[in-house]
Amino acid sequence: MTLTFKTCVAALAASVSLGSIAAAQDVPAPYQPYAGTTLVVNFPAHPHYNAAMKVLPEFTEQTGIEVEVDQLQYLKMRERQTLELTKDEGDYDLISYVVFSKADYVYADQLENLARYFMNPKLADPNYDAADLIDGYVQNIGVAGGQKGYLPGPTGSLYGIPFGSETSVLGYRTDIFEKHGLEVPETYDALLELACQIPELEPGMGGLASRAASGHQASHAFLLHLNPLGGGIFDDAWEPIVNNEAGVEAANALKSIVDCGIEGSQTFGPSEAAAAFAQGDYAMFLDSIAFAATFEDETNSQVVGNVGWALHPEGVKRASQTGGFGIAIPKNAQNKEAAFLLMQWLTSKEADLMIAMEGGNPSRFSTYENAELNAKYPYAATFGEALQYADPDWRPIIPTWGKINADLGTTLSQIITEDLDVQEGLDGVAERSRAIMDEAGYYTWN
Amino acid sequence: MKTALANRMTPYLFLAPAGIVLVAALLYPIGYMIYASFLDWNPSQRIGEADWIGLRNYTNLLGDAAFRESFWVTIKFAAIVVTLEMVLGVGLALLLDRNLRGMSILRTLFILPMMIAPIVVGLMWRYMYHPTVGIFNRTLENIGLPTVPWLSDGGWAFTSIIIADVWQWTPFIFILSLAALQSLPQSAIEASRIDGASAWQTILYVKLPLMMPVLIVTALLRLIDAFKVLEVILVLTNGGPGLSTEILSLRIARTASEFRELGVAAAMSNFLLILLLVLTVAMYLYGKAAELRAARLRAAAEEAA
Repeated sequence: MTLTFKTCVAALAASVSLGSIAAAQDVPAPYQPYAGTTLVVNFPAHPHYNAAMKVLPEFTEQTGIEVEVDQLQYLKMRERQTLELTKDEGDYDLISYVVFSKADYVYADQLENLARYFMNPKLADPNYDAADLIDGYVQNIGVAGGQKGYLPGPTGSLYGIPFGSETSVLGYRTDIFEKHGLEVPETYDALLELACQIPELEPGMGGLASRAASGHQASHAFLLHLNPLGGGIFDDAWEPIVNNEAGVEAANALKSIVDCGIEGSQTFGPSEAAAAFAQGDYAMFLDSIAFAATFEDETNSQVVGNVGWALHPEGVKRASQTGGFGIAIPKNAQNKEAAFLLMQWLTSKEADLMIAMEGGNPSRFSTYENAELNAKYPYAATFGEALQYADPDWRPIIPTWGKINADLGTTLSQIITEDLDVQEGLDGVAERSRAIMDEAGYYTWN
Repeated sequence: MKTALANRMTPYLFLAPAGIVLVAALLYPIGYMIYASFLDWNPSQRIGEADWIGLRNYTNLLGDAAFRESFWVTIKFAAIVVTLEMVLGVGLALLLDRNLRGMSILRTLFILPMMIAPIVVGLMWRYMYHPTVGIFNRTLENIGLPTVPWLSDGGWAFTSIIIADVWQWTPFIFILSLAALQSLPQSAIEASRIDGASAWQTILYVKLPLMMPVLIVTALLRLIDAFKVLEVILVLTNGGPGLSTEILSLRIARTASEFRELGVAAAMSNFLLILLLVLTVAMYLYGKAAELRAARLRAAAEEAA
């Protein structure tokens, strides 16, 4: 009796181990040691990540690695991560981070340097083709420790890979432009003139849909204009220059865009601006490429088939936004190597295309050149071209940015809604920013 | 000897569980917050890694124009909403303190706004204030009046959050005042009626003075709450336009999560706590003084008799 029982157990054990070997043999060798692992990842609620989640089952099938996703609104996600990353043993194996979190996480030494993974021959895929990753994104989102601390340079290293990154483009209503014989604006002068001309041509319609709500949104909209107009927040010695001529011009541009908008546009966030454009309330939209797919979605959009895309207009130079998200491995992750494999897979040529086909933002040049993608989303070519002008130094990604950003955004809101004098308002921002930077030690070497 | 000691200790023994809970649940977090307010602490650090900077958070705050502005907005907001809510709430209670048919249903209806989650209240009002599809502007348009920039102009946005708060919290004052009214001694009211007091006189000289202790506590509770209101304003305006609706609790939340300065946020919370303590003590002293005055008057009246 005992003997029979033991035999049974042995047979059972043998069959189980045979079964798992059989399962493991299906997956490619690099993934075999990790088959059966469950990774916990933290993603934002964002069109790109919604698309990525449709592709994740394919990863599990190919590698045997399970993925559990915790999805949060992106500012909430940042709050959660801030707490999560200080723990000894974190719950997340892979996190998506919004670009300005790079400064905080890297500075607090909470992200894995990716060099040791790309150096590991068992983990790094030789066909990964890192040169194909969009350079501006990698520099902006992935690299830290080079020039100015947050930009690439000889001393920089890689902490994350762009995934769900975005740049800015100009969307316009082809039907309206055709009806009035308008030309798509190439320059800022043309853009601003047109923005205020449209409400006259089409009564009730706004010129250019833009974010403007007090705080982060107003600041973001301002940055969209500041960089092409040749301005910046700081000079190379961290002295605030936001109140120089280009700064004033950018603030005036924002104010005139909002003034020529529809009622209530002073409180628009990105989704309100996009919704207003999708409802046909505006003739132009200048913001992230992430919204493009929603304008062609018949359930939410009344402008399907009538939206054309062009490059972000040129001021003294072309400088479109760099922003969005990247993915990184937390220092306190439990399954770092498997997380790297997922990271590498998600940003591989194959997965990048699959995600793009589902409506995500490509991280690779080759994806933008793909014929299939261009057939499905005709605007992909324009977006690919826009990326050549994406400015990696679009905003300072430093730990003090959160506070300066909020101050700048509230001041701009006062300029827009309370008629605060532009120069006076920006002078105040510059003065307060200098004090913040001084306290944080940016002038120690001066 | 031993029994005497045991007897003496018994009350403390019984108090101990409550005392321990109090220390753990109340004093510890407050102590933590006070300690944190002396630190330069960002959320990526553990509290032990933060630098001690003494009173710098406090002195910086006093010189911070945005903080002063939001302090002022908070005081203005609290003063206006509590006054409005007290007048409306007590007024409603006086009106509805009678036996009408269907009164109990009406009362339940009146307190509904209070039961709705603040986030939902915020969303609801945001849609109603919507510049083009909101009910207010559509109605104004339909009757040929100019529309109002409810949330996109500083002054109007401040008015809008006051309207939403008054809508939500007047029922609280109403329900407490009604309870106070219904527990008033009928003899005093009857006596005033026999003495020929009009309805107004009964309210002014009999009902309101008798309700006063309850009203003071109610006002105090509302005031404390008004200083801490967050969700509705967060959803409605997120503090904008400019800083026009950025009340202190919202600034604290933004300081902690957006600016990542936990020490400064703690210092702000302490300012708020001190302000509320001063108000509570002032209210308490006022109540005491009023009681003493009443006692003195009563004694004088008895002497005269």
